[in-house]
Amino acid sequence: MTAVISTFEVCRYFGDDQETMVKAVDRVSIEIERGEFTAIVGPSGSGKTTLLHLLGGLDNPTSGSVELSGTNIADMSGATLSDFRRDHIGFIFQSYNLIPVFSAEENIEYIMLLQGVDASERKRRVADMLQQVGLEGLGNRRPNKLSGGQQQRVAIARAMVSRPQIILADEPTANLDSKNGIALLDLMKELNQQSKMTFVFSTHDEKIMSRASRLIHMHDGEIELDELR
Amino acid sequence: MLTIKLAFRNLFRNTRRTILTVMLIALSLTALIAVDGVMRGMLTLLVENVTGTIGGDAQIHRVGYRENLDVDLFMENAAEIERTLQRDTSLKSYSPRVISGAMISSSYNVAAGLLYGIDAERERSTSKVERAVLRGEYLAGGDTELLIGHSLAELLEVDLGDRIVLTLSETITGELAQALFRISGILDFGMRELDDNFVFINISAARKTLAMTDQQTHEFVLTFLNPEDAENPEHGIFQQFNNTETEALSWLDLNKEISFIIEIMAYSSLMIGAVLFLLASLGVINSIFMSIYERIYEFGVIKAIGTRPSEIVRLILWEALLLALISCVIGMLLGFAVGSWTAANGIGLGEVEFSGIAMGNNIFGEFHISQFTTFPFFAVLLTLAAALYPARFAAKIVPSEALQRSL
Repeated sequence: MTAVISTFEVCRYFGDDQETMVKAVDRVSIEIERGEFTAIVGPSGSGKTTLLHLLGGLDNPTSGSVELSGTNIADMSGATLSDFRRDHIGFIFQSYNLIPVFSAEENIEYIMLLQGVDASERKRRVADMLQQVGLEGLGNRRPNKLSGGQQQRVAIARAMVSRPQIILADEPTANLDSKNGIALLDLMKELNQQSKMTFVFSTHDEKIMSRASRLIHMHDGEIELDELR
Repeated sequence: MLTIKLAFRNLFRNTRRTILTVMLIALSLTALIAVDGVMRGMLTLLVENVTGTIGGDAQIHRVGYRENLDVDLFMENAAEIERTLQRDTSLKSYSPRVISGAMISSSYNVAAGLLYGIDAERERSTSKVERAVLRGEYLAGGDTELLIGHSLAELLEVDLGDRIVLTLSETITGELAQALFRISGILDFGMRELDDNFVFINISAARKTLAMTDQQTHEFVLTFLNPEDAENPEHGIFQQFNNTETEALSWLDLNKEISFIIEIMAYSSLMIGAVLFLLASLGVINSIFMSIYERIYEFGVIKAIGTRPSEIVRLILWEALLLALISCVIGMLLGFAVGSWTAANGIGLGEVEFSGIAMGNNIFGEFHISQFTTFPFFAVLLTLAAALYPARFAAKIVPSEALQRSL
């Protein structure tokens, strides 16, 4: 198997003063293989979100490296990093975070516009993604006309449509009830199996983490346990 | 296209704020169009008063005459000059004049003044003298006819039909000469300088009194079919009559203080525009900043999914451009409405004297193409410039920090 993303001794500390410094992520080294469906689990404040931000190039590590398909993204910045995220990483956020003035279709289409995909191809891929996430016929609705579960499905479609190497999801089910949360995870798992796309998500929900094929347990910024299931 | 759509929809997320910002820019533009229109109307009135009273659009004199109005510095070849002027098709009218300082006496009082000998017929279409007759009759060619300003008449305690004696010195010899006239008309120019000091007689009588031949003239006053010709130093009249013998001067050269005032007025429009749009720009900066702060998590998201900082700048500039364009359309419509009203009704000034010139008429606003091209262009440009600072701020948003608000 090939590592899609790997970190080596990656640290993210907040604050300069030794006494008050918060070690959000401390010397974490992991390798995520292609096609994995991995959950980063742990209590609040354990460093799950910070680690996902580091994996996604949303934050720069204090030390250590983060490599995506052999490219160290820890040293990237500005437009180069933006382009890299656009082409290689998909994000799903806890609060859906769709653009409220865009319809579901337009939210999905937007990232392809950034990629320079031509209009007909965009249209085709949007229709395809809406079908995959079970939202046919709802593409014209704006986020405020969709339920939480539907909005998160749009967010999944938005993350997948750019055909990234990895999708990072930060507590994607946290704002959903347990039934919808499990349904969403099942959808993500199904897409993972169909497309062999790598998924890494954080959660502290026992029912959700049971769907993952690998669990990385975090505590106080460090990896406590890394188990395959 | 999707970026423009996003920018447009973003504008209407907070409709009330957008309307307020639009009105701020639009009303600034409206005010500028209206003020500029009134300024232009005021200038037109001022220029009409300067050129339309007795000054004309341009004048021809012998070189040196204007320095102290020396009666001996007359032009010898009036007929030849007239022939040249008659041939010039750009001229609307011209009129020869003989001018001299004079002691103006009545039975009751005496005053120093200025005597204008004029060609009554030609003067009709060249100056305002005939239209300034308040009472009595305009000159009809008689040797003893005299027109006098109403305030000078009051000073001399005379009225229509009364006798006036003019005492002056003859040309060349400098001998004192006297001539008796009867008041045929009382004038009211609305200009203190003219009403207090000037008397007008027929040019033939003036030449006779000053011992001048009918070929000798102190001044030709000219009006152009297109008044803007007077501002063109390359015009044939100025080329032809500016030589060692004669000089031809436009009304701008003859009234340096007025041209200075015109320049000041042009700058005042610029200053008013600058102040208005500076204030509007501050409003735009504030409004765009508020809209960015409200959407800070969203900028975090779109940056996270790969939007470049330059693309965020572009998005904010599109929002500013659309805001400016909507504002300009409204501003121009309102400006046109206000401008049309001032153009039709005018703004009453009462009897105001401006730089020695009475401006008793209403000032009528005037439209100019720049009000609907240059002004909106600068409104758009300044709005975009004002948006640059908040756009830079939005482009620098760190996704991981912005997302803390929503994760």
